[in-house]
Amino acid sequence: MLEFLSNNQMYIVLSIVLLVWAGVVAYLVRLDRKMTQLEQNLKKEA
Amino acid sequence: MTYVKYGSIVLITFVLIAGIAIPLSPSPQSWLEFPDIPGLEEKARNIFFHVPTAWTTVLAFLVSMYFGFRYLKTKNQDLDLKSVTSAGLGFMFCILATITGAVWAKFNWGSYWNWDPRQTSIFILLLIYGAYFALRSATENEEKRARLSAAYAIVAGFTVPFFIFIMPRMMTGLHPGAQGDSSGGGPLFESGMMAGNMRVLFYTSLLGFNLLYVWLFDLRLRVARMDYQLTSRQSEV
Repeated sequence: MLEFLSNNQMYIVLSIVLLVWAGVVAYLVRLDRKMTQLEQNLKKEA
Repeated sequence: MTYVKYGSIVLITFVLIAGIAIPLSPSPQSWLEFPDIPGLEEKARNIFFHVPTAWTTVLAFLVSMYFGFRYLKTKNQDLDLKSVTSAGLGFMFCILATITGAVWAKFNWGSYWNWDPRQTSIFILLLIYGAYFALRSATENEEKRARLSAAYAIVAGFTVPFFIFIMPRMMTGLHPGAQGDSSGGGPLFESGMMAGNMRVLFYTSLLGFNLLYVWLFDLRLRVARMDYQLTSRQSEV
């Protein structure tokens, strides 16, 4: 695996890009949930 | 909305994997090889990421104009929130298109900034929409701000197709599709120069970015609505 990656370095770039993208997506999904919660709280107060 | 979210995640992930991992070949034999275009080489992959940002800019600005129209018709404050949300996202994607384009330009054309017609026109677009936000923040009265910025968004929206689709094709320049471009045609659409697998991936990327835009629009709009609710509640107290 490691040898394959050091011979095909584009895949190292790919794995890093995918990790970054996964992080951003996870953040967006959590933000989305958090906001749904906030909206419900706001509704209850009103 | 769930479909939009998962659609954007799946499509963009797919484009990232295929766009980066598929190897180049001087004479592609299968769908798992991209053509090695002289002068572009590995940089050809940029097309899957740079062009969709510019395309999303256009979409967002036109959506902002659409909600500007609707606001002027109905004077519904929520439509103003939608219009400004879309303009903000368009501005962000516009900056991304400018920066990614500049990086690409450095390695294809030798310098980050060449005042190519497309670079010039995106710069003007940034100025136009920068002025939009300046106008908004300079107007205190809520209704007046909404009315002014809706009118501005409409006028600005009319310039977008001109700067993105018309002007760069009328002048000689460095981007594909400019006047005098030997390959002819517009970027990608009429030229028939793009390999089939690249074209499929390119349109997938456009769709993925558009869905991502819809998701971000939804998130930002909900923030704007909560903010609006809280401010109007405070002013009542």
